[in-house]
Order: sequence, then C-alpha cells, then structure tokens
Amino acid sequence: MNIIETEMLTKRFRRYKKQAGIAGSVKGLIKRDYEEITSVSELDLNIKEGEFVGLIGPNGAGKTTLVKMLTGIIAPTSGKVSVMGYYPNDLKNDFKQQYAVVMGQKSQLFFDLTVEDTLRLFKEIYGIPEAKYQSAKNFFIKLFHVEELMNVQVRTMSLGERMKMELIVALLHNPRVLFLDEPTIGLDSVASKQIRGFLREINEVKGTTIILTSHYMEDIKALCSRSVVINHGSKIYDGNTEQLFERYQKHKKISLTFDAPMELPEIGFGVSMISETPYKKVMKVSREKASELLSFLMKFNPSDISVEEEDIGTIVERIYGEEGSSPDEIS
Amino acid sequence: MKYLEISKIYIKSQLVWRADVVFQVLFTVTKILFAYLLWGIIFNDRTEVAGFSFQSMLSYYVISSFLSQIEMSDGISSEISQRIRSGTFSKYIVIPIDIQKYFIAMEVGVVAYYGIFQFMAAFVWVIIFRIQFVVSHNPIIILCAFLLVVLGLLFMVQLNYYLGLLALKYQEIGTFLMIKNNLVAFITGSIVPLMLLPEGIVSVMKLFPFYYVTYLPSMLFIGQLESEAVPGLVIIFIWCVMLQVLIHVTWGSYRRKYDGVGI
Repeated sequence: MNIIETEMLTKRFRRYKKQAGIAGSVKGLIKRDYEEITSVSELDLNIKEGEFVGLIGPNGAGKTTLVKMLTGIIAPTSGKVSVMGYYPNDLKNDFKQQYAVVMGQKSQLFFDLTVEDTLRLFKEIYGIPEAKYQSAKNFFIKLFHVEELMNVQVRTMSLGERMKMELIVALLHNPRVLFLDEPTIGLDSVASKQIRGFLREINEVKGTTIILTSHYMEDIKALCSRSVVINHGSKIYDGNTEQLFERYQKHKKISLTFDAPMELPEIGFGVSMISETPYKKVMKVSREKASELLSFLMKFNPSDISVEEEDIGTIVERIYGEEGSSPDEIS
Repeated sequence: MKYLEISKIYIKSQLVWRADVVFQVLFTVTKILFAYLLWGIIFNDRTEVAGFSFQSMLSYYVISSFLSQIEMSDGISSEISQRIRSGTFSKYIVIPIDIQKYFIAMEVGVVAYYGIFQFMAAFVWVIIFRIQFVVSHNPIIILCAFLLVVLGLLFMVQLNYYLGLLALKYQEIGTFLMIKNNLVAFITGSIVPLMLLPEGIVSVMKLFPFYYVTYLPSMLFIGQLESEAVPGLVIIFIWCVMLQVLIHVTWGSYRRKYDGVGI
C-alpha cells in the first residue's frame, strides 16, 4: 500500500532579482524584477509503508522543497500529493499526529530547558498516555544511550547529542512516517554512524516509513534500499540503491596522512593523484582496485587513512552523461 | 492539557534566569519608589490633583504599572515575524496544535510568571510605604475590571499575532509595529495623561481598544469611571471578535505564501 503518492507535483517560487549597490536598491523601490524558480518539477513518486527511501541530489536540487510539500509546510504550485490519504497543506491535526519531521537546522527543543521538559510538552501535544510515554521514552533512552543527558540543559549539549534528542522528540509519538532532512549535517563520523544505526533499528523494529534526504552518500548507502535522485527539481533515478552505486559510482577517494614527509613511488592501479604534499596524499582510484590499493599503501605506515565515496554531484553528472535519457528509462 | 503544558514550559523557561528575576523585581520596586517620591512632592502642598487624592494616585499608579508590565505580548509579533523570515516558523506548522492557541498559552505562561513577581514586589512596597490602597467596594465593578484585564490582554495577544502573520506577505513588519506601539502609548496615556486631553479626543480614544487594556481597568479598580465599565466590556469584546475574524481570514489567505526559506 502506498503511503505517499505524488503526481506531476510542482513547486515554483518567485524571486526578487535585486541589482547591487545604492542605485540598484533605489531602483528596486520603484520597479522590481522577479525571476521564477522551479524547485520541484512534475514529480511522480510512490512510497510504500515501511520503506526506507533516500532522496538524494546536490544542493538546491529540490529535496528539501519536496519534503516541505509532503509535510504540508508549503503548498504545491500544481500537481497532486497525498500522504497517508491526506492533502498535507490542509494542515489537519489528525495528519500531523501521524508523522514527524526532523530538519537538521530547525530544532523543536527548548534550549534553556532539559530534554525531559520538551518530552513532557510533546507528550501532551500528541496526547500520549503516561504508560505509553514512559515506555517509549525508556526505549529511546536505551537505544540512544542518553540516560545521563535527560536532565541537562539542551544548550550545553554537543551537536551530535542534540540530534539524538531531536530524534527522540520526533519519534516519541511513534509516527507512521518520519521525514529526515539532512540529519547528519555537521556531525562527525562517529555521531553520524550512531544516528544511522538508530534509524535502521527504528525502521526495522517499529516499521516506520522513513524518507531521508541527504547529500552524504554514506547515509544513503548504509540505510536506504531505494534511492530517488533529484536534480533541478526532476527525478533522474528511482530504484535500487545498490544498483545506483554499482552503475554510477565508479571511483573512491583515498586520503593518506603521514607523521613524517613521505615520497611515494610510482603507484600504478590506475590512480590519479588529486593533491599531494609531503605529509598528505589524496588520490582517486576505481572501486574495483580500491582494496588492492589500500593493502599496497599500508606498507608506507600512514598515520591516518580515509576512504570516501564520490559525491552526489559526480553521480548526477554521470547519470546525465552516460544515459542521456529520461528518468523513466533510467529507473 | 496540551495548552496548559505549553504555559508551564514557558514558566519554566523564564525561571531559568535568576538575574532576570532579580532585575524584574528591582525594576518594579524602583518604579514604585520613584512614583512615591514624585507624587509625594506634588501632593506636598495640596490634597487633590485632577480629582485624585495622594493615596488614590498611588493606587492608580501601582495598578496601572502592574498591568502594563504584565502586558508582554510584543514578543509574539517579533517571534512570529523573525521565524517566518528565517524559515523556522515550520516548527509550529508541523505539530498538531492550533498555532494561535499556542501563542495564547505561551503568553499565559509568561504573564503568570511575571505577574507573580510583580505582584509580590508591589505588595511589599504597599506595606512598606503604608499606602492606603484605594479600591472600589463594588464587587460587580471589580469583576468588570478583571474581565477587562483578561479581554485586554487577549486583544493585545491577538493584535501581535495578527501583526506577526503580516510577515507572511510583507516579510518586514517593523513599520506596523512602530505604528502600533505609538498608538498604544498615546491612547493608554503613557505619552500624555488622558485626563489632560480635551474631552472630544478622549471620546474618540474610547472607541479604540487600547483605552481598555490598562487605563480603564486601573480606574475601575480604584473606584473611578464606574459608568464606563459595561460599555468598555462591550467595546473590547467587539474588538476581540473583529480581530479574530481578521486573523482567520489573513491566515487563510497568507499561509500559502509561506516558503519556509531561510536557514
């Protein structure tokens, strides 16, 4: 059963084009030029209950605008949208009772108070009975390992701790759908990994449908069985995540750091060097040869080593470049 | 229950800052002390000024400054407009609440918190200066004054909520707020005492709601202008209803303009 359905969904914004300088500012008082931006263009999307879907695309692709339309925050310009049978922008409380949204930079927490205080507020807002509230709270406290943070002022928490708390607040009422907009933005790799682990468990244990927008490939790869790639407001891929990366992610970026100046010999493996200093080497290698190259590089005793996936921008370019086809053909 | 919890969380938020509590109390104390000294000098060589005795003038001052200090709905318009401009107004849109009721509950929390401290500070000074508090003995007038205070505070919340919503269309609402603040200051008698204005102008002011927010309730509490109590209640009630209709229409037509863009 589809829990989310969109058909030809479109969102256009009008943007004031202001000329620079005093003269431009004065001119803007008399006559203004506007440009129309299409953030989401004729997008068709169906998501089934219990799915974990990744919405990916470069900055400005239209991911967040899509989430805002699905949650009712903004109204579509045209097209159809239905989430759990509701038209989101009607902003019905019955609808809002059944979903949660976490936006990386928009907090529901009261910074001067403790998380316990915010949770109490949300218990009442969502009408959660005391017994259910206690059991949900204890479940999340154990899952997120945050016992000692419940009575700490939110403003004194680290970014990673705060994000865990945002997730607890969002999940307290056991929503059917959870929208996550860049939940790992600004987090270090340890915190990101923890958040990913929690999300996987929520999806598996509670059956929550999760829509995750991110431009971090690691998030999508680790969590989402299905990916929807959006660029310039249009869907350019909709399908299996593994296949997406198999087909379009061709390289890995390897960074090596050394304690002493290091001169590497001719490496081979088809490596192309991205940057090089005596203490740090950054190189690109094909996915197939990455593990072989890593074994070779370990011989030089690097003090630190990191392997990164190609960014979404490169993948989008490759989808366009290799296929030159319509989204339907690609998916 | 959800709105009671919202009030409670805003009381808790205010209680976090101890210095703020101390300075609020000191501010109230200083105002009363200053009024005591000022009116003491003025009443030194006379027993009555514009129909007020020294004790009734001090009573009026204590009550009106208490009421004007608990009227703190200014924060609502700035909170809404700033959140609309920064795109964080979404935090209210996505939770199952009536946004206007949320802000009323927030205001109740803030008023309850400041009201208690202001009341305690005022009470202590009334005792220390042995102010013989002049209060109306008519329970119906006292009830009318209380109702006027409630409706007056509600009206100010509605007005600031409405002005905040204008940010959905105009983005910058600084000018609207400035006009409102000057109008409020003039009509409530903060700029020129109302008793010094010509009767014709005062009659016009009585058609505006601001006259009934602090001025009339204060006068009723000290037993003056009793004949204006019932007309006052009717007028402020009509204003509340009209503003509620305006809020409903404005939200209905402007909410689609919210783009959630900012951060």
